[in-house]
Amino acid sequence: MNIKHILLFILLFAAVTVQAQSKKQTKAQIDSAKADSIMLQKIQAEMSQPETPAAPQARAAASANPDISVIGDFRGLYRSYGKHNFDAVLNEAEFSFQSVIDPYARADFFYSVEEDPKTGKFSGEVEEGYLTTLALPYNLQLKAGRFKQSLGRINLVHPHALPFIDMPDVYVNFFGEEGLKGDGFSASWLLPNPAFFQELTFEATAVDPESPLFERSDANNFLYLAHLRNFWDLSANSTIEFGFTGVTGENIFGNRSNIGALDFTYKWKPVQFNTYKQFTFQNEFYYSHAHQVGNNIVNALGFYSMIYTQVGKRTFLAGRYDYSNSPFSNTFVQQSGSLTLGWEATEFQKIEIEAKYTTMNQPMAQYNNEQNFSSAFLRWIFVIGSHGAHRY
Amino acid sequence: MKIKNIALLLAATVIANLSYAATIRVVTTTQDTRSITELIGGNKVDVFAIATGYQNPHFVDPKPSYIIKLSSADMYVTLGLDLEAGWSPSLLTSSRNTKIQRGSDGYVDASVGVALLQVPSSINRAEGDIHIFGNPHYWLDPENGKIIARNIATGLERVSPENKAYFEANLKTFNEQIDSRIKAWSAAMAPFKGTKIIAYHNEWVYFETRFGLHIVDFMEPKPGIPPTPSQLVKIIKEVKENNIKIIITSPYFSTASSDVVSKQTGVKTLTMATSVGAFDSVKNYYDLFDYDIKMITAALK
Repeated sequence: MNIKHILLFILLFAAVTVQAQSKKQTKAQIDSAKADSIMLQKIQAEMSQPETPAAPQARAAASANPDISVIGDFRGLYRSYGKHNFDAVLNEAEFSFQSVIDPYARADFFYSVEEDPKTGKFSGEVEEGYLTTLALPYNLQLKAGRFKQSLGRINLVHPHALPFIDMPDVYVNFFGEEGLKGDGFSASWLLPNPAFFQELTFEATAVDPESPLFERSDANNFLYLAHLRNFWDLSANSTIEFGFTGVTGENIFGNRSNIGALDFTYKWKPVQFNTYKQFTFQNEFYYSHAHQVGNNIVNALGFYSMIYTQVGKRTFLAGRYDYSNSPFSNTFVQQSGSLTLGWEATEFQKIEIEAKYTTMNQPMAQYNNEQNFSSAFLRWIFVIGSHGAHRY
Repeated sequence: MKIKNIALLLAATVIANLSYAATIRVVTTTQDTRSITELIGGNKVDVFAIATGYQNPHFVDPKPSYIIKLSSADMYVTLGLDLEAGWSPSLLTSSRNTKIQRGSDGYVDASVGVALLQVPSSINRAEGDIHIFGNPHYWLDPENGKIIARNIATGLERVSPENKAYFEANLKTFNEQIDSRIKAWSAAMAPFKGTKIIAYHNEWVYFETRFGLHIVDFMEPKPGIPPTPSQLVKIIKEVKENNIKIIITSPYFSTASSDVVSKQTGVKTLTMATSVGAFDSVKNYYDLFDYDIKMITAALK
């Protein structure tokens, strides 16, 4: 009985298989004319299936930490005076941590470690560390902490993002190599002007004690700053920006210094080929009104004018003229001209060389009492991590 | 009479203002999401796109003038991933607009739910511009256009729930349009399945996968690195060996290097539309594929 069943099953299976095969052959023969259209359907079906896609949820994991980056700024320096006139230093290593804190605010920290070329020793400081609100009404925004102040154009830009290596003379003489920064509050208001961009900023800070002009006051004399930024699109490819800044604070004589500043920038960058071509004409004027000892008043000024242009896909050229008094002596006049050639390997690495000639009408001890001298700089900037965008 | 006219004018102004106030103001990072937002939002939306269609979306300058648009927007549509990482976050922070910050109702990440291709297993910038989440040029597959549209519709419904039925109806029409057009586009491309081509930058993988092309190499030796002489020599060899007929590129890349390859081999350079607005005739998301497929099929015939 069992053997019968097995035999029947085998016979049935064989019959079904043979029939299926013969059907396949017959179908193939009969449908030979339709083979192309079947193939077409198959191709269409295959094409509608994306190739081994990744699971969409895979992308969430990477965003738990703040954006972290390290920027190296290696420099070679030459000056035409002194016995020791060549130097090579890791000028700065900047560590940045940036993230949104919660739905109401974000935080930005920049920790900078700098090398003293004379001793080769490093010293670190919180260059900036501040909170920015995201949820204030009436187009307001508040910043609190230590920050670079809203003065002119270049003060807000970290040096590695500038198209020249040394800072303009007026900037160094008035505010120091590091520029104007302090601890306090900054409130900015986006004006409800639909025609063009206007932003008004007020800041109250305890100024960085390294400032050559302003003093971190022993009394309650804070530094106050107001800045109006105006920006127009002249066309899709060109823009213009005007800024006005007023600063008042206690100077190193314990009296008051007032600064008036004007910045003007024209940029041309064709939208379609913005990675190939650009041209910038940028200027900043500073006027200082300083009450010195015995209420002796000194009015001094300084400015720089810069042209920056892209000469190749990865090659850039910047030329700058500087004119500067000292904020406490308008009889002192320093002038210089410089040319910087930059090569950007990628967004994360650039090499620049700069040649500069300086002339002064009075000798200065910091320049070895030379009135005319040349200097040259090499800078290699390298970035690891996810460094965010820079201000336009 | 005069008073009547003034009253009428006032009434018209008030009505115009009210209707503008009722319009949902949307800012999108690119023209493709602008087009899809307009197709879904219809007359309920007023859309401004930051990048032009002939601009490299990786390198948009965060001009302050965009902040004005963002400050009054009800909704913000980003392609997401890290495509706009160089400019979108700073604009959003400066906008001071709580409605469009990440996590708010008006923030729409168009990439949510998209099956990404070329997701790297490790991040190493020695490989060039590597995108940590995968290749971000996903809108170049029209099937992904449906996911983008779904995300945008969901965003619009969060911002304006009273118009949900309207947006859903437009979404349905959009999906039907895409489905029927994909059939036509696929049929047009079917004869060229497996055809080997060269691309300038690695931004075509979704288009390539959908329509069955085979990109064998790129003019850029690594993503974001401009073509080098040794890469051109390699490309010339590949073009000759594989009888490659076309190099596809985008409006924002120089054709100088592909012109060199053309001279040596006779290969054609096709400047394709990577976004809506790349060329005058590419007015909406459907035109984008019409244009590119027409270009490719004409060149490969």
